[in-house]
Amino acid sequence: MSFISVEDVKFSYDEDKNYVLNGLNLKIEKGEFVALLGHNGCGKSTAAKLLNAMFLPDEGTVVVDNMITSDEKLTYEIRRNVGLVLQNPDNQLVASVIEEDVAFGPENLGVPPEEIRERVDKALRTVGMYEYRKHAPHKLSGGQKQRVAIAGILAMHPECVVFDEPTAMLDPSGRDEVMNTILRLKENGITVVLITHYMDEAVMADRVVVMDNGNILTVGTPREVFSQVHLLKKHSLDVPQATELIYKLSGAGLKFDEMPLNTEECVNFLEGVLK
Amino acid sequence: MTRDIALGQFIPGQSVIHRMDARVKNLLLIAFIVLIFCSFNFVSLGIITGAVIAVILLSDISVKMYLKSLKVIIVIILITSILNIFYGSGDPIVQFGIFKITLSGIYRAIFVTVRIICLILISSCLTFTTSPTDLTDAIERLMKPLKILHIKVHEIAMMMTIALRFVPTLLEETDKIMAAQKARGADMESGGMIKKIKAMTPVLIPLFVSAFRRAYELAVAMECRCYQGGDGRTRMKVLKIKKLDVACILVTVLVLAGVILCNIFFAAKI
Amino acid sequence: MSIIEVKNLSFTYGIGTPFEKKAVDDVSLCVNEGEVIGLIGHTGSGKSTFVQMLNGLIKPTSGQVLLEGKDIWEKSKEIRKICFKVGMVFQYPEYQLFDETVYKDISFGPRNKGLSEEEIDLTVRKAAKFVGLSDRLLNKSPFDLSGGEKRRAAIAGVIAMDPDVLVLDEPTAGLDPKGREVLLAQIMGYHKERKNTIFFVSHSMEDISRIADRVMVMNKGRLEMLDTPKNIFAQVEKIESMGLRVPQITKIMMTLRERGYDITDGVLTVEQAFSEIINLLEKEGKI
Repeated sequence: MSFISVEDVKFSYDEDKNYVLNGLNLKIEKGEFVALLGHNGCGKSTAAKLLNAMFLPDEGTVVVDNMITSDEKLTYEIRRNVGLVLQNPDNQLVASVIEEDVAFGPENLGVPPEEIRERVDKALRTVGMYEYRKHAPHKLSGGQKQRVAIAGILAMHPECVVFDEPTAMLDPSGRDEVMNTILRLKENGITVVLITHYMDEAVMADRVVVMDNGNILTVGTPREVFSQVHLLKKHSLDVPQATELIYKLSGAGLKFDEMPLNTEECVNFLEGVLK
Repeated sequence: MTRDIALGQFIPGQSVIHRMDARVKNLLLIAFIVLIFCSFNFVSLGIITGAVIAVILLSDISVKMYLKSLKVIIVIILITSILNIFYGSGDPIVQFGIFKITLSGIYRAIFVTVRIICLILISSCLTFTTSPTDLTDAIERLMKPLKILHIKVHEIAMMMTIALRFVPTLLEETDKIMAAQKARGADMESGGMIKKIKAMTPVLIPLFVSAFRRAYELAVAMECRCYQGGDGRTRMKVLKIKKLDVACILVTVLVLAGVILCNIFFAAKI
Repeated sequence: MSIIEVKNLSFTYGIGTPFEKKAVDDVSLCVNEGEVIGLIGHTGSGKSTFVQMLNGLIKPTSGQVLLEGKDIWEKSKEIRKICFKVGMVFQYPEYQLFDETVYKDISFGPRNKGLSEEEIDLTVRKAAKFVGLSDRLLNKSPFDLSGGEKRRAAIAGVIAMDPDVLVLDEPTAGLDPKGREVLLAQIMGYHKERKNTIFFVSHSMEDISRIADRVMVMNKGRLEMLDTPKNIFAQVEKIESMGLRVPQITKIMMTLRERGYDITDGVLTVEQAFSEIINLLEKEGKI
C-alpha cells in the first residue's frame, strides 16, 4: 500500500458540480519527493488540501498511511502526519516570537512542555533558524519566515510535508534557502510534495506530476516529463532553458539519448556533440 | 510615518524586574495601584512613592524613557491638579471672585498629581520590562479562573497574541498602500477634516480586504497545524514562581503593611 | 535627449538613530527617452528606495533627480504632480485596488490628474486595452477578478495616467508561467506603441534580458554596473558575486565559450543560442 493514495477523487467548490478535480488518481510512496506542476486553476492547490483532510473529496477516497481522510476521528492525526506549508510566509506565523510560533503545533497536540522545547530546538536547527529563536517574525526576510513556517510543521513530527508554492513570493536567494531546506527534509526521510511554477525546482524531484484541468496530464521522472517539451508548451508550461535548447536542436536533426535538465548536463552534452 | 508609532514598549533587559514572573508582576501591579489610591496622608504617600522609585531604579531602564511616558499625559496631570486646587473646602487662603484656593485644595492637588504620576510610572515599568507575549500569557493564566463564568479566556488570549503578531505587518502594509495610492496622485495631506477622511478610503478599503484575506489564510494555516481551541492544549513555557518572585511579593507585602499602619497612625489629609 | 538625469543621488534611513542606514549611495545616470532600463539587485540593494525617489515619493538626502532637465523638488509643493509624469507600479499592485468597479479604479489616477470626463473615459479604455481587459470586466468589481486580471487592472490604473516614464517593480512576481508570458508581452506591446521610458525592476534575469535596452545592477545602495544586457550578463562571476545570477542559457553558452568553442559573448535567449550552435555544427559539417 502506498503512503498516500488518491483514488478517483472528484472535488468541487460549489453545488453545481463544476469539478476542480475530476477523477484524480495519484499514489505517493514513503520518502518520495514529488513535484506537482500546472498553471493556475488546474487544481494543484486543491489537491494539496485534500492530502491533509482540509478538504474532503466529493467522490473517491484519499488514504494517508492507512487512514482514510473522511473519518473525522482521524482528521487531526492526518494533519499532524501530513504538514502543509502555504505560499504566503507572513500569513502562517501565529506568534510574535519565533520559538513560540514553532511551538504552536505541538502545543495544539498536547505534547508535554519539556518535549515541546526539544522538538522546537531541533526543528529550528534543521531549518537553520536556531539563532533567530527569540526574534520577531516581521523583522525576518521572506526566505527566513518560510523556513520558520517549515520548522513549525516539522515540530509536529510529520512523515510528509506538502508545500503549496512555497517560493512564489520569494527572491532568488530566499528560493535557494527554502529549496535547500526541502532537500534536507527529503534526506531525513520525509516524504515531500512540492507544488511549484519553477521548473528548476521541479527538476530536483524524484517524480514530476503535471496537472491540467483537474486531472493528470503526464507523470514520470523529471527527464521523462521534460522531454515532452511540445506537450508542456502546448499547455503553456515552461521548461528549463537548457532543455528547450536541446529540444530545438533535436528539431534540426540532432540526436540525444538523455534529455539534459540543468546547466551542467547541457554543457556536457553540447561538448560531446561539438567535439 | 505610521511605522514610528512604538508598540508594546518592551525594552529587553536582565534586571530583577525583567526576570520576575509576568503573573507575579501583574498581581503586584494591582497591589501597587490599590496602595497608591489608599494612601491618605503624606507619610503613606511618601512610602509608596519611595517604593515606586525603587522599582524604577531596579528596572535598569533609563529615566528618560519614564519621563517620555509621562510626557504624553502631562496635560491631563496639569488640568486635574489645577481643578483640584480650586475644588477644596474650608477657609480660603487666596480668593479671586468665586475661585478660592484652600489648604485642602492644595493637598488634594498634590495627592492627585503624585498618584497619577506613580500610576503611570509603575504601569510603564510593567510594559517596559515584560514582552507583549509574556504579558498575554500571564493574563491568560491569571484569568483562567474566569472560565467558570463562561468567559472564553483562551480565545481572548489567542486573539491578543494574533493581534500582537499582525500589528507590525499591517502597519507596514498601510505604508505600502499609502505609497501606491500617492503614486496614483492621491492627495492625503491637503483639505479639511472631511476631505482628509474621504481621501483615506483608497487606503482603508485595500487594508481591510487584505486583513480579511490574511485572517482567512491564517485560519487555514492554524487548522493545518491542528489547532482545535484551548482544550487539550499544552504550553511550551512553564511558568514557575522562583525565589526572586517570593522575595518581591514579601517586600510588597511589607510596603502594604507600612502604608496601612501609617494610614492608621497618622491623620488623614484627604 | 535624456529624459531623466540622476545626479549623485543618496538616501539615508533613520538619520541620527542607531538604525541609520545608507539605502542609496551616490547614484548617477542618464536615461534616454524611450529606453527600457532593467534594474536588478539583491533584496536590500536599494532598488525600491531608488525608484521611489524617481517620482518624488521619497525625498533624497542629497543629490538630484532631473526630469526633462528640471529638478523634481524645485517646487516641492507641487511634488505630487511628478507622479503623473513618472508612473509607478509597485510590487503586488493588485493590493491597491479599492473602487466599486474596475473602470472606476483605473480612473482614480486620471481623475486625480484633473482630466475631464471624456479624457478619462478615453484614457481608461485605452489603458484597459493595453493590458487586455475586456469591456465586460470593466464593470465588474475588482475583487471578483482572477489573480492575473487584478494585476493587469492595477497596472492599467497607472498606465491610464499616461506617464512619460513608467516604473514597474517586479510586475510578474507570483504569476504562473503563462500569466508571466502574457503580461510581459503586453508591457512590450505598450512600450512599442507609447514609446515611453520604462524602468523594469525584476528578479527574473530571463525577463530582463528579453526586455531591457540597458541594465542597472545595484549592490549595497551603489550603482555597480550599467550596460547592455549582453555586456552585463557576460560578466557571470561579478554578477554572481553580488548574489545574482545570469540566465541559464547565458551560463551554458559562456561555459562552452570558456572551454574554447567559438561562441559570441553574452548570448541571452534560447533562439540566439540555437543559431550559434547550429552555425558551429554546420561549420564542422556535423549536420
